[in-house]
Amino acid sequence: MIKKSLVSLGALLVLFPTMAFAEDPSAAQLNMGLNALWVMIAAVLVILMQGGFILLEAGSTRMKNAGHVAGKTIFTLGLASIVYWAVGYGISFGSEASEGLNKFMGLGSFFFSADVASVDNALPSSVFFIFQLAFAAVSLSIAWGGFAERAKLSAYLIFTLFFVSVIYPVIAHWIWGGGWLAKDGAQDFAGSTVVHLTGAIGALAATILLKPRIGKFNKDGSANEILGHNQVFTALAVLILWVGWFGFNAGSTVAIGDGFFGYVAFNTQLGAAAGAVAALLISWLVNGKADITTMLNGALAGLVAITASCAFVDPWAAVVIGLVAGVLVFFSVKFFEKIKVDDPIYALSVHGAAGVWGTLANGLFATEVLSKKVGIGGAGLFEGGGWNQLWVQFESVVVAGAFAFVASFIILWVVKQVIGFRVTEEQEIIGLDLSEHGNYGYPEQMKKAGTSV
Amino acid sequence: MHNPTWEKRLLDIANAEDLEQLRSIREREQTRMATELSTSPAYEVVESLNALHDALITQVLKLAEYDLARLGHGAPPVPYTYMLYGSGGRYEQTMYSDQDSGLVYANAPNEVEEERYRNYFLQFSQVIVQHLIKLGYPPCEGNVIASNPEWCLPLEGWEKKIDAWFAEPSWENVRYLLIVADGRPVYGDRELAGKLQNRFFNDLLSHPVIARRMMENTIRHKVLVGVFGQLLTERYGEDAGSLDIKYGAYIPMVNAFRLLAVQAGIRETSSMGRIKALQQSEVLTEKEAEDASEAFELFLKMRMKATGSDENGQMVGTGKIPSKQITKEMRAPLKKALKAGKRIQLRVQRELQRRFGGR
Repeated sequence: MIKKSLVSLGALLVLFPTMAFAEDPSAAQLNMGLNALWVMIAAVLVILMQGGFILLEAGSTRMKNAGHVAGKTIFTLGLASIVYWAVGYGISFGSEASEGLNKFMGLGSFFFSADVASVDNALPSSVFFIFQLAFAAVSLSIAWGGFAERAKLSAYLIFTLFFVSVIYPVIAHWIWGGGWLAKDGAQDFAGSTVVHLTGAIGALAATILLKPRIGKFNKDGSANEILGHNQVFTALAVLILWVGWFGFNAGSTVAIGDGFFGYVAFNTQLGAAAGAVAALLISWLVNGKADITTMLNGALAGLVAITASCAFVDPWAAVVIGLVAGVLVFFSVKFFEKIKVDDPIYALSVHGAAGVWGTLANGLFATEVLSKKVGIGGAGLFEGGGWNQLWVQFESVVVAGAFAFVASFIILWVVKQVIGFRVTEEQEIIGLDLSEHGNYGYPEQMKKAGTSV
Repeated sequence: MHNPTWEKRLLDIANAEDLEQLRSIREREQTRMATELSTSPAYEVVESLNALHDALITQVLKLAEYDLARLGHGAPPVPYTYMLYGSGGRYEQTMYSDQDSGLVYANAPNEVEEERYRNYFLQFSQVIVQHLIKLGYPPCEGNVIASNPEWCLPLEGWEKKIDAWFAEPSWENVRYLLIVADGRPVYGDRELAGKLQNRFFNDLLSHPVIARRMMENTIRHKVLVGVFGQLLTERYGEDAGSLDIKYGAYIPMVNAFRLLAVQAGIRETSSMGRIKALQQSEVLTEKEAEDASEAFELFLKMRMKATGSDENGQMVGTGKIPSKQITKEMRAPLKKALKAGKRIQLRVQRELQRRFGGR
C-alpha cells in the first residue's frame, strides 16, 4: 500500500515538478530557516553537555557510585523536560501575567503547545523551547554536584520537580524573560548567573544539609582527598562541555544575523583557554605540583565566567576574565575545604565562584559598543561607564543567589524532615549503585572480594 | 663527649646481659635525649644518640656471638664486619630509625669452608636482626638487612656484586650503589669494610657516568619550598598541614652531598663530614659550606622532633613535622634553610647536566 502510493507520488512529481516546489522562499523565510537551524544545532550541543556532566560527575566520584551518578543524569533530564514543558517554561516566558506580577514571574504557556511552524518568520517556538529547556537541564545537573555520593534517589526526584518548575524559571524570568532585573539592564548573556550560579547555589544548599561524605574530614578538621575513580573521564567531560559551550554561548545570540555568534564563540574559546592555563600554573606555583583536577576545573571556570560576558567584552578582556577565573577556582576549592564544605565535583567553585566573577566582570569590562549592539545595559567601570553597571551586576548576583539559596534550602530541608535526604551510613559505604539501584555500574571490579572502595 | 656519666652509660650497655636490659637502657636514654634536644645543639644530641645506637648494636652482636656458641656453632670462623647503611651509615639515625645493615666476612680457602662460613654467618645475622627487633628497631622494608642472604656475603661475593652493579646501572642497581655509598662498619674487622670501599671508588673511576644515573635516581625528592618561598605542606589526610621534613628537606640534602662527595672521592659517610670535606677539597666555597651545614643542622634537629610512635613495640617515625609544631619563629629560619637546600640541589643537577647532558 505504502509502496504503491510512493510510486504514484514519484510519477506525479516527474510529470508536474511545480507541485514539489510551490514557490521560491522569501528572504525572511530563508533568514528564519537559518536562525532556526543554528539555534537547533546549539540546543543539541547544550543537551549533549549532559554527556559531559555524566562523565564529569562519574569520573570525579568513586566506582561504587558510577552507575547511579551516570544513570540519574538521564533520568532527571527526562523528568526535567516534562516539568519544564508543563510549568517551568510558562513561569519564565509566559506572557499572561499582570504587569506587576510580570516583574517577578511570567504566567501562561503551561503545558506548552508549540506552533507547528514558524509564525511570521520568527524563530519557531518549538526550537526556542528546546533551547531554553536545555539550559534548565544544565542548571539542574550543576546542582547535582552537591548531592553526589550520598543523597537518596527520591530526593533527586523531588528537587527536580521544584527546581525546574519554580526556582530556575523565576530567575531566568528576572534576567531573560523581561523581569525586573532585565529592566535594570543586568547583563548575563548566556547565563553565568541564571544557569551556573543558580545551579551552584542549589548544590550549596544540598551539600550543607547533607553534610560531608563519610571519610572526607578527620576529627581534627583536616581534609582527606577522596579521589575520583577515572581522571580520563573527567578530562573527556571537560572537552565535551567545552565543545557544548559553543552552543551554550554562541547559540544564545538566537540568530545568525550579521555573524555576531562567531564573535561570541571566539571570546568563549579565549576565556576557556585562559582558565585552563592559569589554573595549572597557579597550582604548580602554590603546591609545587601541577594538578590535573585543578587545571580541568580552571577550563570550566573560564567557560562559566565568560558565559555572562562573551557578548559584551573585547578579546583581551575575555583572556583576563578566563585567567582570573582559573586562579579563583583554585583558591575557592581550598576555601570550601577549609570551611569543611564537601564539594565532590567542585560545583561550588567552578559554577558558583566563577559564575559570580563572570557576572561581575561585565561591570568591569563591558564595552559601550557591544552593550549597545546586544541592547542590554551599558559600559563597565574600566570602559568609562562608571560604577552603574557594576552595581547592577552585583545586585543581580546577590538577589538571584539569595533567592536560589532560600528556595533550595527550604525544599531540601522539608525533604530532610519528611522523608530523609541522605542514604544510611551502610548504604553510603556499600555505594549507591547497589543501595539505590541493585546493581553495580562496574560489576566485575566491585564484586571482587567484597571490596569497600 | 668524654664525661664520666656518658662513660658509665656505655659501661652499662657493655655489661648488659640480656635484651630486656638493653631495651630499658635504650628507652631511658632516648627519653633523656629527647629532653636534651631543647637545650643542647642538635648535632650533639644526634652524635650521642648515634653513639648510643652503635653501643647497643655492638652489644647485641656480642650477645649473638655467645648465643651461637651456646647453640654449639662455636665462635665466628673468620673475621667479619657488621655494616650499617642508610641513616645508620651516615651517623644520622633518629630515635625511630629502622635496621639497614649488611655483613661481610673474610674469603674462604675452599668450597667446603665457604659453605660452613655461609651457614654460620646467615644464622648469626638472623639472630642479630631478631635481637634488634626486640630492642625496637624495625627491619628494613626494602630488605636491605644482614639476614637477607644477598646482603650477607664473603668479601669476594661483595666485590663481584659491586662490580656487577656498576656494569649494569639499572634503576634498582643504582639504588643499591647509593646505599653502599653510605655504608660503614659498626663492629668487627674494619679492614674488610675498607676493602669494600676501595672497590667502590675504583669502580667509580672507570664508570664516571654513574654519577648522572645516581642523580636521576634521587631527583624525585624535591625540597618542599615553593616559588614564592612558601612551605609546601601536606594537603590531605591525617597529616594535613604537616611538613615532610624527611623526604622534603633532609633526604634531598643527603642525596646532593652524597653525590658531590662520591664524585670528589670523599669517603666520609656522614653528611656533615661530607660538607666539611667538600669545603677542604674546594668543591664548596666557605660560604656555601657554612650555609649548607647550617641548613642541614636545622633539618637534623627538625627530623629528630618529627613525630614517631611505638607500633607493636617497634619505634616507627613518620618523618613529618605537625603544623602545630611549626611555630612563627621557626618559619623564617626553616624557609631560609629550605631555600639553601634547593640551591644546592639545583647546583648538583646543573653541574651533572653540563657534564653529561640531559636525557
